[in-house]
Amino acid sequence: MATILETAAGAGVFSTLLAAVDAAGLRGALESPGPFTVFAPVDDAFAALPPGTVQTLVDNPPQLARILKYHVLSGAYDKAELVAQAEWSSLEGAPLPIRRSEPFEVKNATVVTADIVCDNGVVHVIDRVMLPG
Amino acid sequence: MTATVAGVRPALIPPSTHAYAEVIHRLEAGGSMLPDTPENLQQIIGIYKAYAVPMDFYWRDLLYIAERVFLNPLPAFKYFISQEYLDLPNSYAGDQSKLRIWRGGEKAHPELLEFMAKGETRAMPKLLHHLWHDRVNMEFAEACMQAMFWHQGMGGRFNDYIASDAYRANADRAIKAYFKGNLVMLGLYKLFPEMFLEQVRQLSYTANLGLFWEVMAPVFFEMSDLYDEGKMTSVPQAMDFLVNGIFAVAGRPIYHHVFIGGECIEIIPKGEGFTWLYEAALPYVEAVFYRTSPFRGTKSYNAQAQQVPADQADFHYGILYADVFPVGSAGIPPTLLMQDMLHFLPPYLQELYKHHRRGEEDQLIQLGITFQRSMYNVTSAVIQALRCALLYPLDDTDPEHLMANRRFFEAQMDRFLRPEARLSDIQTQDYR
Repeated sequence: MATILETAAGAGVFSTLLAAVDAAGLRGALESPGPFTVFAPVDDAFAALPPGTVQTLVDNPPQLARILKYHVLSGAYDKAELVAQAEWSSLEGAPLPIRRSEPFEVKNATVVTADIVCDNGVVHVIDRVMLPG
Repeated sequence: MTATVAGVRPALIPPSTHAYAEVIHRLEAGGSMLPDTPENLQQIIGIYKAYAVPMDFYWRDLLYIAERVFLNPLPAFKYFISQEYLDLPNSYAGDQSKLRIWRGGEKAHPELLEFMAKGETRAMPKLLHHLWHDRVNMEFAEACMQAMFWHQGMGGRFNDYIASDAYRANADRAIKAYFKGNLVMLGLYKLFPEMFLEQVRQLSYTANLGLFWEVMAPVFFEMSDLYDEGKMTSVPQAMDFLVNGIFAVAGRPIYHHVFIGGECIEIIPKGEGFTWLYEAALPYVEAVFYRTSPFRGTKSYNAQAQQVPADQADFHYGILYADVFPVGSAGIPPTLLMQDMLHFLPPYLQELYKHHRRGEEDQLIQLGITFQRSMYNVTSAVIQALRCALLYPLDDTDPEHLMANRRFFEAQMDRFLRPEARLSDIQTQDYR
């Protein structure tokens, strides 16, 4: 089985996310045994942000890391486990609410593909970049 | 105020029954709390320009105070910005910017430099301008900083950090370095460590506000330029420009560095991950637009008679609630801002004010109310940016999502149900 980052690289729709992970210096952490639950925004989700948003973050790795960590939970959880609890604590520290199970929605993002099991965790593909708050 | 805006109400959910339903439907249609009229557009753009010029001084001097004046026990010259800080290149404007977002130059605005040289009177030594109070009113900027510092706990992690052991250790290093060899001050520090620490915390908020305004000044300058060129033609366009600006620099680091004897001490390192949006912009809007403080001026408040809320979150003395009429009294920080803006009013606003109320006699009040309109538009941009970041697109087709947006907008409008709010007033042009 592949790791979270290998799986993402193979999917071909996470090039911005992977570049952001590298810019934020989080590759090592996400290649560790974890396990993690990662809500992975597709490239279109980053492209939908207003101009300059991603570039400012990429230029400032600690700030970028904070936003990326909001998409990660400690522990491997599939959809069934996630929807059983209204709110989860993200690695960023802010709560991540589960808003609906059908369709599966995390905060204001919709999970387009759930439960991609990897060596070191679970990936859920989402259609929006989530921001704490 | 329950009339609906024909043709723009989302058909997928029933109309709002909120007292500000008309405004809510306008927000749901991508509009601003401020109605889209040519005069509103002219007023807000004109005042953004007049605000941006002194703001170009505020941010530079705030950083100068936080980073260089620091704990000077007699900071009589803290408003005498050094040339280095007056020339500080803007991080997000100008050709030198690594991440240029706004098209303006990086240097202090020429109208600011001209005013600093001449003031309202004539060219004189800086000290005379200062003593005659013929200068940019930094007291207003400091009052905003103090509102942020005093209210605290308005989201973000800045406040938690300045109470942390890591912050104490960094501040301690800076205090000891700053007073190195000064046995009197070091002795006082030993006796009253918390007093010194609290002063450093205030300076951290000074840096925070400086970094916040460094972004806003070029935003407002560009909006004014676009309007002058005929490229900004509606209030929603002006709001959207602000929304895009908020996102563009959301990730800008907020930090506090101090320079002592050639060494840079990081009291709040950039590595803490604090951002412009969470640790500066949102607390600023909450502290300054909504809350601030019941300052002494022409109106006195009696806290014992419950005229001042017991809960800080209920404070409602910001520009969105202000009765602009008492403008002109000494000591009121907003008055100082009005006076600052008066110096840089574009000719079309001067002309507008001449034709209303008491003409030039009450320009300060008229521009104060214009400022209020413009800040309702900025607040609309913040509300729309938050909706965009935390909720759903306005053209979403899921009724549950639209209802979530609706609840958010209604909760925001609830804050304007108190009688002091000026949201109803700004719906017409008669309020001047």
